[in-house]
Amino acid sequence: MTTKPLGDFKDSAAFSLGVELELQLVSKRDFDLTRGATDLLGSLDYDERFGEIKLEITESMIEISTLARPTVDGIAADLGGLRDTLREHCERNNIGVCGGGTHPFHHWPERRICPGDRFNELYQRYGYLAKQFTVFGQHIHVGCTSADDAIWLTQALGVYVPAFIALSASSPFVDGVDSFYQSARLNAVSAFPLSGQCPPLGSWQEFTEHFAFLQACGIAQGIKDLYWDVRPKPEFGTVELRVCDTPLTIEQATSLAALAQSLSRWLLRTRPPLHAAKQAHVARYNKFQACRYGLEAMISDPVDLCQIPLKQTLANLLKEVSEDARELDCAHWLSPLKQAVAENTGDAAWLRAREKQHGNLNDVVRDASERLMGKNNQIQEKTR
Amino acid sequence: MIDRITSPLRAIWESLLERLFFLPPFPESIDSLALFSLLLVVGLLIGEWLHAHVRWPKVIGYVLAGILFGPSLLGWISIEALAQARPIADAALGLLMMEVGRRLDLSWLRRTPELLRSTFADITLSFALIFVFALWLVGLTPAWAAATAAVTMASAPAVVLLTIEEARAQGLVTERIILHTAIGSAASFVAFAFVLGIVHAELSEDWLNAIVHPLWVVAGALLVGGIGTWLALGIAKTLPKRSLAQVFVLVACALLAVGIARMLAVPVFLTLFLMGVLLASRDRQQTLRYTELPEGHWLLAIVLFVIVGASLPWQDFTWLAGLQALGLLLVRAAAKAGAMAWSGGSLPLPKRLLVGIGIQPLSATAVFMAYEIASLYPEVGRSALTLPLFAAAMMELVGPALCRLALQRSGECESGDRSRGGIA
Repeated sequence: MTTKPLGDFKDSAAFSLGVELELQLVSKRDFDLTRGATDLLGSLDYDERFGEIKLEITESMIEISTLARPTVDGIAADLGGLRDTLREHCERNNIGVCGGGTHPFHHWPERRICPGDRFNELYQRYGYLAKQFTVFGQHIHVGCTSADDAIWLTQALGVYVPAFIALSASSPFVDGVDSFYQSARLNAVSAFPLSGQCPPLGSWQEFTEHFAFLQACGIAQGIKDLYWDVRPKPEFGTVELRVCDTPLTIEQATSLAALAQSLSRWLLRTRPPLHAAKQAHVARYNKFQACRYGLEAMISDPVDLCQIPLKQTLANLLKEVSEDARELDCAHWLSPLKQAVAENTGDAAWLRAREKQHGNLNDVVRDASERLMGKNNQIQEKTR
Repeated sequence: MIDRITSPLRAIWESLLERLFFLPPFPESIDSLALFSLLLVVGLLIGEWLHAHVRWPKVIGYVLAGILFGPSLLGWISIEALAQARPIADAALGLLMMEVGRRLDLSWLRRTPELLRSTFADITLSFALIFVFALWLVGLTPAWAAATAAVTMASAPAVVLLTIEEARAQGLVTERIILHTAIGSAASFVAFAFVLGIVHAELSEDWLNAIVHPLWVVAGALLVGGIGTWLALGIAKTLPKRSLAQVFVLVACALLAVGIARMLAVPVFLTLFLMGVLLASRDRQQTLRYTELPEGHWLLAIVLFVIVGASLPWQDFTWLAGLQALGLLLVRAAAKAGAMAWSGGSLPLPKRLLVGIGIQPLSATAVFMAYEIASLYPEVGRSALTLPLFAAAMMELVGPALCRLALQRSGECESGDRSRGGIA
C-alpha cells in the first residue's frame, strides 16, 4: 500500500471560504442520469476564472469548486459563474444539470466509473459501493489560521452536523421510491468503512499521531480516505464540512456557506466547552435523526441529558451567529435559512410537492434542473 | 427444396383425405403466425450465436438468417411468404421509426449552430456526392441517380437505434449519432418525395401524377401521423404517466397509423417518423415523453431484419454491380466523415469522426424506399435501383458493426474497454 504523508497544515486567511458542489448530469429526453462527464470536460474551453469544474467518481457526476474567497458574496459570484459556464456548455451538448443529494430514480448498475487511477483504485477497493456512491454533496471549506484551531474547529463543528444536514436535505427519493428520509444520501456514504466522525482529538499533534496510526494499520493511505463528516484539509489550510446534500439552488448552497462561516467565527470567538467524548456517543443517533426527520429531528444532548427539537436549536443558533454574520458581511445570506426554519420548508419538501403534483419523478428532475438553472424561481417562491 | 420435403407429406395427406373427411385440404401456404415464429426463431438463433461467439451485433445475424433462408439462397422463405410477412415488417419498422422521430430534438439544433452546420453538411454532401457518382460514374439517368441518392443518403434509423440499445450506449457521441440519423432520415424522406415526382415526369411524362403523388405521400403521411399523435396524446392524457396502459395506447395508435398508411398507399416509414416527431413536439405536458416502447419491440425487429435480409436481391449480384455499390459506399462514407470533420459542435475531431462512422449503416428504410420507388415502374425500376439495393445489402452486414465500433471506441457502451473511458 502506498501511503501519502500528511504534510504541514497550510495556514490560510481566517474564515476564508471555498465551496464544492457535486452536480447531476441528466438526459434532456427522460431526465434520468446520463453518462458523459469525461467528454463534457474534455471539450470545455474555460479559463477557471470562477474556480474548477472537475470529474467525480462516475460519468454521471460533475463537481464545481469555487476559488478561495474571503466573503460569501464572492462565493455566490463564483457559484453563479460556474453554474452559467456549465449551463452554456451542457446546452451545447444537450445535457441537463441538476442539484439534489440523490437522483430520484437512476439505476446504479448503469453508472460508469470515470477513467483515472484514483477512480479505478476506489472501484477496485470498494466494488459496487463506488457506483452506489453516485450521490451528490456540498462540501464547505472554512479557512483556519493555525493547525490547532483547525482540529478544535473540526470537533466543534461536529456538534452542528445535524443542523447542516437538515438545512441542506434534498434527497428524499432513492431508486424511484420515497425513502421517508429528508436526506437519504448519507446512507450511501455511511457504508464506507472510514465514514463517520473525527475521534475526540485535542490538537494537531494528536491528529497527526492518530493519522500515522491509521496509516500504520493500513487503514488509510491519505487524508482523502477519511470520509469524516468534518475533517481538516491540511493542504488547503481549512476545515471541510462534508455532510450537506447539494441543494437545489446555488443560493441555498451560498446560504449554507454563510452559516458555516458565521458559525466558525462564533465558535472560535466564544470557544464553548466541547464535551467531544460525550458527543461521540450521540453523534450517530443525532445524524440519523437529522437525515430521517430533517428540521423535525429531536437531537440528543449528552451534557444536559435530554432531547431538544432541532428547530429550536437552529432558531437559537441563527440568532447567536447573527452578530458574527454582520461582521463577516453575510447576514443577508442567513435570512433564507431563518425563513426555512420558521416555515419548516426545504428542498426535500419541495421535491415531494413536485412529485405529488406530477405523479412521476421524471418531471420532478426536470423541474429541479430548471430550478438550479434559475428558470423556475416562480415555482420556488410559490412552494416556499 | 421445400417441395422436395413436402411432396411425400402431401401424398400421404391426400391419401388420408379419402378416409378422414374431417381433415382440411393440404395447406398450400404456411400460416402467418407460424411463419412469424419461424422467422423469429431462426433470426434469433443466428443473431445470438454470432453475438455470443464473435461479438457481432445481433442485427447482422438476423439479416444473415434472411439471406440464407430467403429466395436468393435456400429459398425456404418464398417471395409469397415475404409478401405475407410484410405487415409485420411494416409494424416493426413503423415502431422503430416512431422512436427515432421521438428522439429528434430540434431545440438542440436550434441552439447549437455548429450542429446545424454539420447536419446540413452531412445531408447536402451525401446527396450531392452520391448523385454525382451515380450520374457520371455509373451512368444512371438524372431521375434514377436522384432516386439512388435519396434512398442512400441517410443512416439507418432502425439499425442505429437497435445497436445503441444492444450496447446500452450513452454519451455525447451516442446522442450525436441519434441526432444525425434522425435529421438525415428526415432529409432523405423529403428528397424521396421529390424523387417520386421526378421519376413520374421522366418515365411517363404524366405531370398530374408527378405533382400529386409527392403531395399525396407527404400530406397523407402528415395527416395519418397527425391523427395517430392526436389520438395517442388524447387518450394517454387520461392515464397515469409511464403506466403500462400508456405503453399500450402508444403502441396501439402507432399500429393504427401503420394500418391506415398501408390502406392509403402512404409510406409507413415516413408516416411513423412524422408521428414520432409530432409526438415529441406537440407533447407540451410531457404526457408520453417518458413512455418507452416495451422490450417486445425486439421481437418485431428480429422479424423485420430477417425479412430485409430475405428481400435483398443477391440473386442478381454481378461483380460490376458489387464494385459500383462499393464505390457508392466509399463516396457516402467520405461525405459523412468530411461533414463531421468540418463541423460538429464542441466535440474534438476524433470523436466527431466516430460520429461519422456511427452513422454509416444503411438498411431497412433504404430497402423499403427503393422498393417503393421501383414499384412505380416495375419494368425499369428494379434494375435501375440495383445500385442502392446492393449498397444496402453490403451495408446490412457491415453497418451494424461500424456503428458498434464507433460506440465502443467512444467508450460509451455499458460494458466496454476500460482504457477507452472508465469502467462499466
